[in-house]
Amino acid sequence: MNAVHKLTGNFTEADIDEEIIIMRLDNGELLSLVDSAAAIWRLIDGRRDRAALVAALKAEYAADDEQIAQDVGDLLYQLKEAGLLAEE
Amino acid sequence: MKSAAQLLMERETRVRHGPVDLDRLGGRLEPGHSHLEADSYLLHTADGLRYFYRKGEGITICRDSAADASEEQLWLNGSVYSAVACINGLVPIHASAVAHDGKAFAFTGPSGSGKSTLIAALGQLGLPMFCDDTLVLDLGDPDVVTCLPGHKRLKLTPEALELTGARAEEPVGTGIDKFYAEAPAGDVMTPLPLAELIFLEEGTQPAIERLSGGERFLRTQDDHYTAHLFAVARQFDRAEQFAHRARLARQIAMARFVRPWDRARFHGGVALARRHVTAVEQQ
Repeated sequence: MNAVHKLTGNFTEADIDEEIIIMRLDNGELLSLVDSAAAIWRLIDGRRDRAALVAALKAEYAADDEQIAQDVGDLLYQLKEAGLLAEE
Repeated sequence: MKSAAQLLMERETRVRHGPVDLDRLGGRLEPGHSHLEADSYLLHTADGLRYFYRKGEGITICRDSAADASEEQLWLNGSVYSAVACINGLVPIHASAVAHDGKAFAFTGPSGSGKSTLIAALGQLGLPMFCDDTLVLDLGDPDVVTCLPGHKRLKLTPEALELTGARAEEPVGTGIDKFYAEAPAGDVMTPLPLAELIFLEEGTQPAIERLSGGERFLRTQDDHYTAHLFAVARQFDRAEQFAHRARLARQIAMARFVRPWDRARFHGGVALARRHVTAVEQQ
């Protein structure tokens, strides 16, 4: 199991209404997370791995397992590429 | 009774006339340029006016004999006033506002977007003016965004005077096709909390829509001139600038007011704006 954790030194974030705005500190690039993406971000606590994130998300959303796993995988890939996350 | 921020701005915008050294903030400042630092501001206008402000010392103005005297007050109340506000931790934005039910409702947009015209027209419908062209925000209370009452008189083009029925007073200055005008419903001179910041946009059908959180965050950068001034004056790093914008986005309700650029439909848009302000009051 590889826990997913945020690389907190690489970004700053703000909750504005239901939306999460994240800014990369290296280049100022902004990222907006809403709906399930915001939920996944909030579930990343440094202890859960991918499977635990999918399981936790299933409790909140009515989508099928495959779709949730796909959404989690896509978002984690995007956030890792941006240098905001690591799995280890 | 005046707020601490009002008293601060009164103190810091004291004016004296005297020499202004154009080399005092680094290299020589050419006409048409300005230079802002954390505690000082130097402006050299294309017409030869020179302004220097240093925190705690007020403003010094030097006018060449060739400079237009009527320009002096316009620059003082415009760029110089905004710079002084930024240096002292206040946030100036390009907006005109009306007051209603103890709150300020501000309309913002680029020059020529109709901010002053709308304020004058809303005045004809009974809403007093709060400010014209520049709205200064006081963020001293972490829980409330407070607006300082305007320091400028209402200025309107001849077309805006005709459209709104506002009463013209004297011309603004030589070569400027604007007149000072009486605010039709008077003005408010006490600080008020900001109810909403409304962005003026052009579109086919008049409509006012609230902005979501992410949109509000992006809009905090819309007013490039003063947003940049504030960031420079406060010497913000990237993370501090982000936190500042996030605070504004969280605490300021924002909307988009779309209306057609059509004289025949102008008053319909004004009526919509008034209904919107009234609806915000009732919520």
